[in-house]
Amino acid sequence: MKRLHCTLLAAALAATTALTAPAVWADANRLAIDLVNEPTSLDPHLQWNPDSYYVYRNIFDNLLTRDDAGQIVPQIATAWEQVSPTEIVFTIREGVKFHDGSALTPEDVVYSVQRITNKDFGSPQLSQFATIASAEVLEGNKVKLTTKAPYPALMGQLVKLSIVPKAVVDAMGKEAFNQAPVGSGPYKFDGWDRGVEVRLTRNDDYWGQKGSFPAAVFRAVPDASTRVANLVSGASDLVVTMDPDLAMQLEAADGVGPRSALTERVAYLAVNGAKPGLDDLRLRQAIAHAIDRDLIVEGLLGGFDKPVGQLLTPAHIGWVEGFEGVPYDPDKARALIAEVGEPAKRKLSFATAPVFDQRIVQALQQMLTDVGLNVEIELTDMATYLKKVQGDPAQSPDMSFGRWSCACQDADGVVYPLLHSSSSWSRVRNVELDKVLESARGELDPAKRVADYRKVQEWIRDNVSQVPLYQAAIIYGASDNLKWQPTPNESLFINRMSWSE
Amino acid sequence: MSAFLIRRLLQAAVSLLGVTAMIFFLQRLTGDPVLLMVPEGATQEAIDALRSQLGFDRPVMAQFADYMAGLAQLDFGQSIVQNVPVVDIVGSRLPFTIRLAMAALVLALGVGVPLGVFMAVRRDHPVSRIGMGFVLAGQSLPTFWSGILLILVFAVWLGWLPASGARQAASVILPAICLSLLSMATFARVARTAVLDELSKPYVRAARAKGLPMARVVTRHVLRNGAIPVISIAALEIANLLSGAVIVETVFAWPGLGQLTMQSIAARDFPIVQAVVLLGAFVSIFLNLTADLLYSAVDPRIRLEGGK
Repeated sequence: MKRLHCTLLAAALAATTALTAPAVWADANRLAIDLVNEPTSLDPHLQWNPDSYYVYRNIFDNLLTRDDAGQIVPQIATAWEQVSPTEIVFTIREGVKFHDGSALTPEDVVYSVQRITNKDFGSPQLSQFATIASAEVLEGNKVKLTTKAPYPALMGQLVKLSIVPKAVVDAMGKEAFNQAPVGSGPYKFDGWDRGVEVRLTRNDDYWGQKGSFPAAVFRAVPDASTRVANLVSGASDLVVTMDPDLAMQLEAADGVGPRSALTERVAYLAVNGAKPGLDDLRLRQAIAHAIDRDLIVEGLLGGFDKPVGQLLTPAHIGWVEGFEGVPYDPDKARALIAEVGEPAKRKLSFATAPVFDQRIVQALQQMLTDVGLNVEIELTDMATYLKKVQGDPAQSPDMSFGRWSCACQDADGVVYPLLHSSSSWSRVRNVELDKVLESARGELDPAKRVADYRKVQEWIRDNVSQVPLYQAAIIYGASDNLKWQPTPNESLFINRMSWSE
Repeated sequence: MSAFLIRRLLQAAVSLLGVTAMIFFLQRLTGDPVLLMVPEGATQEAIDALRSQLGFDRPVMAQFADYMAGLAQLDFGQSIVQNVPVVDIVGSRLPFTIRLAMAALVLALGVGVPLGVFMAVRRDHPVSRIGMGFVLAGQSLPTFWSGILLILVFAVWLGWLPASGARQAASVILPAICLSLLSMATFARVARTAVLDELSKPYVRAARAKGLPMARVVTRHVLRNGAIPVISIAALEIANLLSGAVIVETVFAWPGLGQLTMQSIAARDFPIVQAVVLLGAFVSIFLNLTADLLYSAVDPRIRLEGGK
């Protein structure tokens, strides 16, 4: 019993000491960013998720990048020239040094391309670069990329190609490199406490725009309310993944506020024309007429997002200016359903996953119910959802909700996988449409490409394979002192942020 | 005693084997992580390449045989998503879980048991009435709500404690309080019932008749006899606390096993889930065995089979 008393006393003492410790959590020299999860990997070729991307993109330079306006601009490549429909020659920037002091060479660029396109390496990003047939070093600090076929969207893909140091990767091996990455970017990897935080320090020898913060820390804070609490209490300067409700909370709080940008993510309702009942165009048209996208954006999304009538966003190459989708017309929807009769009474399955805003899904269900359809939401986890919406159209759900991002800001990355017969993501099997999609993919003349994509959008509108809903916004929470404007490609470039003074 | 131990250890080995096989096959029934890892629109060719690189195209029995062969050499494999040995990942999270569990346990036992004893001995005292309300609240308030409330009061309004993370020593306080509420209420309730039970027994009346003061009767006789149910509940509670507190760890961004398990399940990172479940099963079995051994130490009337 005496021993127990001693233990309790010690515990109480320890608790009091901790309580009286100085409560200093904010640090002007260090930018603190709350992510949802910690990165899965800091090897840029071995991951595909935002939490990894937010961090490693500060450690590595990419072949190309986008400026704040979304234009493709030089990074490691200073210039490029399309020498033939399938060949592009890039001039590699001189004087760039990796964080270990070694120089970045054209060989490193070629190595990076070969590494990510090697099937045995197992990069999740393989499909983004699979059109590259070869990479070779040319005289005069140049690299030539050859594609299997003409592929204008390649530039949008190369924005995602990080350059890794061949010598370091070879020496360290895949496993060690992912835990202690060496890049050439504006911030250096400093340390990683698993589950807690990743620390970066400024690269003072950076060739480009240097960071204004000497250090940065990325923390994993899975709960959105806790991220808000951290921001409001000054423990963090920037937090990701806010929703419109939390954004309103932030607006009401002192010293902090929401920051948002319209992204290249397009939200849509996919309608599976291969299913009985839905193979009748009139029923699909009824579904399209029943959806009030303006109401969704204004009523549920707080006006942050923007309604679109085509399966694309203005942030994409291939966006058709002035194109209108199927208008909201519930009376017409009811008339079409009455015309279809018995087959329209079937229960329609509507697949969704917890990552999507369920209020949107429920609102869509309500709108469809209002015109007389019978819709049942099927909520499963993301892995199951992805399995359901892939593969044989006859086995897929009748409808599904989606928010598509190709992270390439090119129409090819959206409509080709969602509509081409060869794609497992597509519910559509149409030879004519396939030809248009293929022609657009290989067309080097921008005007002709947009003309092709207009045909694609007309096909979507007329056949209702998808009902485009809105261009999704991304909402962050930030301290009012932070000078930074979010961009459509959802990057967090620390060297483009500073304190406003 | 030794025959009892050997039999229990054999039972434990069979249970662990069963858990391993069950979790292995159940997880694979839910699909694989490949679709979660690739970008939207990835070609079937690229998806197949990754699937084959990760070995998910092989027959499940062959995958199981490989896994068991590794396990026999204490090799828990590699995280599919993170490309790091599972032992490193689980090993980095375990100290946090232990730290939080111990802090919560000290709070729960330190407050819960004395409160329970007091509520039994002084049933009509106002503190006992408030205590009963507290027990009810502790058992019924969901932790995601009490957690957010604690953060709001102590981190946002008062600014005394960090809302999340594990970097400072003070970081453990809020999650420990939040996590201990339920156990505290459980201990208080169990201790109260146990002591009430003992107080009605003839030996207490005899001791009082002999002239012993109440406090002495409680501390010398009642507590010792009433300890049995508290010990068995404590074993269960420790096992619960050690297997990770999913909600508390998520709300407070505490990097323990609970959060890791949730993330790994969502990401279909099978080897990690497997290791965590195995660890949880091991801790449960071990603690139950310890509790059984402790019974006989506390209560000489309980003799383990095979013992003399």
